[in-house]
Amino acid sequence: MVTFIVRRIGAGIVMLVVISTIAFLMLYAGGGDIARHILGQQATQDQVIAKAHDLGLDQPVFSQYAQWLGNALHGNLGQSWFNGQDVTAAMASRFPVTFSIVMGATLLSALLAVVLGVWAASRRGVVDKVVQVVSLLGFAIPGFLVALALVLVLAINLKLFKPTGYTPLTDDPGAWLSSITLPVIALAIGGIASVTQQVRGSVIDALRQDYVRTLRSRGLSRSRVIFKHVLRNAGGPALAVLAVQFIGMFGGAVIIEQIFAIPGLGQVGVSATTQGDIPLVMGLVLVTAALVVVVNLLIDLLQGWLNPKVRLS
Amino acid sequence: MNKWKVALAGAVAAALALTGCAGGTSSSGSSSAKTGGTLTLGLITQATTFSAQDANWANEAPYMQAVYDTLIHANADGTIAPWLATKWAYDDTKTKLTLTLRTDVKFSDGEAFNADAAAQNLKRFRDGASPNKSLLAQVSDVKAVDASTVEIDLKAADPAILVALTQNAGLMESPKAFTASDIKTNPIGSGPYTLDTKNTVPGSSYTFVRNAGYWSASTFPYDKVVMKVFSDATAELNAIKGGQVSGANLIDNGSLDQIKAAGYTVNAQELDWTGLILLDRDGKLAKQLGDVKVRQAIAYAFNRDALLKAIDKGNGTVTEQIFPKSSPAYDASLDSTYSYDVAKAKQLLSDAGYPNGFELSMPSSNLVPSSTWSIIASQLQDVGITVKYTDAGNNFITDMLAAKYPATWMRLQEDPTDWQISNFELTANAVFNPFKSDDPKIDAWVKTIQTGSDSDAAAASKAMNKYVVDQAWYVPWYRVQSSFATDAKTQVKMQVGNAYPYLYNISPK
Repeated sequence: MVTFIVRRIGAGIVMLVVISTIAFLMLYAGGGDIARHILGQQATQDQVIAKAHDLGLDQPVFSQYAQWLGNALHGNLGQSWFNGQDVTAAMASRFPVTFSIVMGATLLSALLAVVLGVWAASRRGVVDKVVQVVSLLGFAIPGFLVALALVLVLAINLKLFKPTGYTPLTDDPGAWLSSITLPVIALAIGGIASVTQQVRGSVIDALRQDYVRTLRSRGLSRSRVIFKHVLRNAGGPALAVLAVQFIGMFGGAVIIEQIFAIPGLGQVGVSATTQGDIPLVMGLVLVTAALVVVVNLLIDLLQGWLNPKVRLS
Repeated sequence: MNKWKVALAGAVAAALALTGCAGGTSSSGSSSAKTGGTLTLGLITQATTFSAQDANWANEAPYMQAVYDTLIHANADGTIAPWLATKWAYDDTKTKLTLTLRTDVKFSDGEAFNADAAAQNLKRFRDGASPNKSLLAQVSDVKAVDASTVEIDLKAADPAILVALTQNAGLMESPKAFTASDIKTNPIGSGPYTLDTKNTVPGSSYTFVRNAGYWSASTFPYDKVVMKVFSDATAELNAIKGGQVSGANLIDNGSLDQIKAAGYTVNAQELDWTGLILLDRDGKLAKQLGDVKVRQAIAYAFNRDALLKAIDKGNGTVTEQIFPKSSPAYDASLDSTYSYDVAKAKQLLSDAGYPNGFELSMPSSNLVPSSTWSIIASQLQDVGITVKYTDAGNNFITDMLAAKYPATWMRLQEDPTDWQISNFELTANAVFNPFKSDDPKIDAWVKTIQTGSDSDAAAASKAMNKYVVDQAWYVPWYRVQSSFATDAKTQVKMQVGNAYPYLYNISPK
């Protein structure tokens, strides 16, 4: 077990290096004259050249990367080129924001998916058809449209929520919950749809297994069979889908944060990438890549706990 | 903020230069009382830096004005008034400017503001990395004569320097903070507010609280100012509809009706002109453009009223000159020099020896809706000129200023002084004269603007403006409306020559 974890962490570190290299090269290739972008149209060509020199943009890409990597290994991710903030501080202040939205959306997806999936699988018939159609709709409607509709109806017309902004949990828990409710719903819609389908399918499969018939014949109630035995078996594949959703939601948060003007990673990702704020984008890449590694490791461990068959010796 | 972002802000969907409420507790709107309460502003750019030495201006002005004083004060109409400097005087040659300073001002770290601090700040800005550092390019030395007198020596007369001292060039930062490692994010000035770094998320939202003991507190009525950054027009619109901002600079004019319906007032001003720049005045890259008849033909080729309606929904005013209405150079009659006339354009091209037209190379970019490019191509095609676009992407401005194209579409800010406009767009070394075309007539007028009396300078700008229109180096279509929305409790005076109203001109109703 320990060897397994160590190996996975080792592989994760290799992945981080590979991803950061690719990201750096892509940023470089994406080009644009970053110094001009920082200084604006009023600056003279000489000023732009001097700025590019200050930022090291006139050096070969590999030496720029080596320098960034060297600093990063010493824990120094640099400062944003566009607002001077320490990248580490920016990540530290923005990660909890995005994390609370994504985590909220994941929990909501898991909860609703289990309820809807089990309901559809065990009842079948009309209930099943309705759940299927509704989740198909959830797939089809893009999250940002849901977000816009939610803002219009619940925030602007009914004034139940604030249309934009975010309140940190530590400032006011009630206001925090209110500020993430709409973004969480908008972000969760797609996740609920796909995880519901997965739970439904897995539960139907499990219900057909011999052990279910045996358990039922021994007098166990239907609900006990489903919640104690079937769900545990069906949980593995659903968890895998949920994990993919969780990671995917960090991508989805990019758009949701723009719409709700939430100061998370997605928002900074959009502005930093379009401007060419390389230190900030690289910080973001590191955080998200590390997150993927950690989440995958946790899911593997959870899978083993749920299903001894996949446990590694 | 840099004008490039300002210029394209109307067209850029999600590209340039955000928000969230760090404090989360900021109530929307101002209080109904004449002082106190919170002012919540929407901005379209983040604070690039709080370091006064490297400061930006335009859309970033409110960040700077919250924490720093300037040496001189700018009124909303662009005239200047005393501030930290109570009076000033030039010597006969206009190359020595002496300012008398207040002696009752302290920085927020407790250090006293004095002539030495002013001198250090001015020299640092001149040698710093601000995009506007050229504002002090003429400054050869700055000396503190005594505690309240500072003397600025100029290499040559500079008609824009007093205005520059109302902007980022005049920001005063505590010398003790010059070496601080967090200088870019934690400003120490003598301004009306201090930045509450705990309740600030750089790039998204900034919270300012009153600087206790500020010497002119009544000029700034609010106790707290929150500045939120919006990069997305929809988020900004939703914040306005939800009453979450007291005032906001609008990313575009796409939703003015909805904003008015939400009970906000749309305060309009015109700051930029949009149209073509015929960069290659001497025909180095495209020999056709070296002929004034060809340039004039291009000027005749555009149906400006139709362009204004098609591209900016009629929110603007047709113009054919690059000088703003507030300038002494402005002449309303010039705006009908080249009324839309395809036949005339064809005739001019034929007279110039191009009866069958020619091919003109121009950059395009996805930073602007593609319809703009197709409209330009189609109107020029009507007179026989075929546009060949090259997608310059994010390098649109860079390539344009590197003399890679003979002509381009552009949107440019109209600077507050004729001297600045001349040096930005007309002289041989102007940023927007990448081919370095020199014209002795321009040089002579600019010299008069620089050193002549006010009336001589005004006459020179007027003559120069007419000449520039006749030469058709620039083919403006219209001035674009920029809009600032205020809620029912807030009033604003728009600032002549600046993208964002000045902080002290925003007040409770």
